[in-house]
Amino acid sequence: MTYQLALQQLTDSALPTGAFAHSLGFETYVERGLVHDEESFGVWLAAFISQQLTYSDALAIRFLYEDVPVAELDALLTAQLLPRQLREASTKMGGRLLEIGAEIFPSADLAEYRKLVGSGRAAGHQPLAFAVVARSLNVPLPEALAAYLFAAVTSLTQNAVRAIPLGQNAGQRILRKAADGVAAAIERISHLTPDDFGAVSPGLEISQMRHERQRARMFMS
Amino acid sequence: MGQLELVVAERGRRSVATHQFHRGALRVLRPHYLDGSGQVCYVLVNPGGAYLGADLYVIDVEVADGAKLLLATQSATKIYRTPGSFAEQRMRLRLGEGARLELAPDQVIAYREASYRQNTHVTVRPSSSLIMAEIVTPGWSPDGASFRYEELRLRTEIRVESEASVGEAGGLLALDNVLIRPPLGDVTGLAFMEGFSHLGSLIVVDPRVDQALADELHEITAGLGAHTGISLTAAVLGTAGLVLRSLSNSTEELRRVLGAATALLRKPWYGQDPLDLRKY
Repeated sequence: MTYQLALQQLTDSALPTGAFAHSLGFETYVERGLVHDEESFGVWLAAFISQQLTYSDALAIRFLYEDVPVAELDALLTAQLLPRQLREASTKMGGRLLEIGAEIFPSADLAEYRKLVGSGRAAGHQPLAFAVVARSLNVPLPEALAAYLFAAVTSLTQNAVRAIPLGQNAGQRILRKAADGVAAAIERISHLTPDDFGAVSPGLEISQMRHERQRARMFMS
Repeated sequence: MGQLELVVAERGRRSVATHQFHRGALRVLRPHYLDGSGQVCYVLVNPGGAYLGADLYVIDVEVADGAKLLLATQSATKIYRTPGSFAEQRMRLRLGEGARLELAPDQVIAYREASYRQNTHVTVRPSSSLIMAEIVTPGWSPDGASFRYEELRLRTEIRVESEASVGEAGGLLALDNVLIRPPLGDVTGLAFMEGFSHLGSLIVVDPRVDQALADELHEITAGLGAHTGISLTAAVLGTAGLVLRSLSNSTEELRRVLGAATALLRKPWYGQDPLDLRKY
């Protein structure tokens, strides 16, 4: 139980990583009128969990727990996040998490990752920064994945509540449903192979790319 | 089964094959030159006409320093039923300094109950120039539904290698992984194929790739109908990549998008007119 409170602090939406500034592509759907209410945002969020969060973020976290060197995974993420804004979102939030992590949960592994980032040998991605800290706190992998995925889902939902906009209770209903999606994703992640890494759906990637050219926007991604 | 090896090098002002080997159901047609640029064009032929279950095709192509190769196909790559198995293509492409490779294959068509894995490993030098186009489509099925195939897996890895780093893994520039598995869930809808059935992609790696080019490509492809996104990769060893992805319901529409984008690069970069393979 020693890591419980640490995990809560790390995944609290008050943790200042700047997640409030990123839609990770859903704003493109809002602009096109395809995501406009509780139901349509729920459809997008389910796809985001089973695609982006599963094949990219979560798989990177699992590989780190399986001792794949962090520098290798960092390079893989940089190469796989083809939409530029998504890559920048990951390293922006990752950079903040590395900084905060060093102050509140320092460890040798975290110092090593920060050194790689500081010397330009790594970009510093959010899921890896989280995984390095969680692992140093002895958080078991399934719990680390659940915490990370649900935190990502929570900040996206909060952003949707502001942007679409949706009612606060609608936001909570969306989160309750998304929890099932997160649980299903955690089960699937354990069966994926290295070849599956980065297999994000074309639709999500195109919308994330198109966000770069959206005229009026609230979010950086 | 099929295997093909091809090495192209610069001889005088033209590129020619200096090594060629084929075995099984893969070969190339007699080379030709489409214009006066010296770029040699090889057309890949699969005499068997289709990929079947447990088929493995291995393609190994090297474009030496300064050489220019256009690699096309004679017809679409058709993947038929592969019960309990999958057809597989492994391609290794290696570009030297100042080498140029244009990959302009016909579309991949995955029919009912087809599983296909395509693994492409590309190694470029910082001064290489690569243009890779690809279109994947579902084949006709008796009930008219689009997604009757089992699985499509198209994975492309691009690395940049410098003189000093030869033999090492090289800097990873892009990892493009497409996985479409219709039996596991609805792949047609929002945030997956967005109601479309055909996928097109263009990857460009060249030291001249920059945001202005991405903007220009956006301008000319925006009016062409398909649902398209364009973005840049991070730079590695002084070169960078551009990825264009496009969804549509028609091969022709995707061909127009990829063709327009390629044409925009060929003229200023290579001094070549838009590619027109149909006239040969």
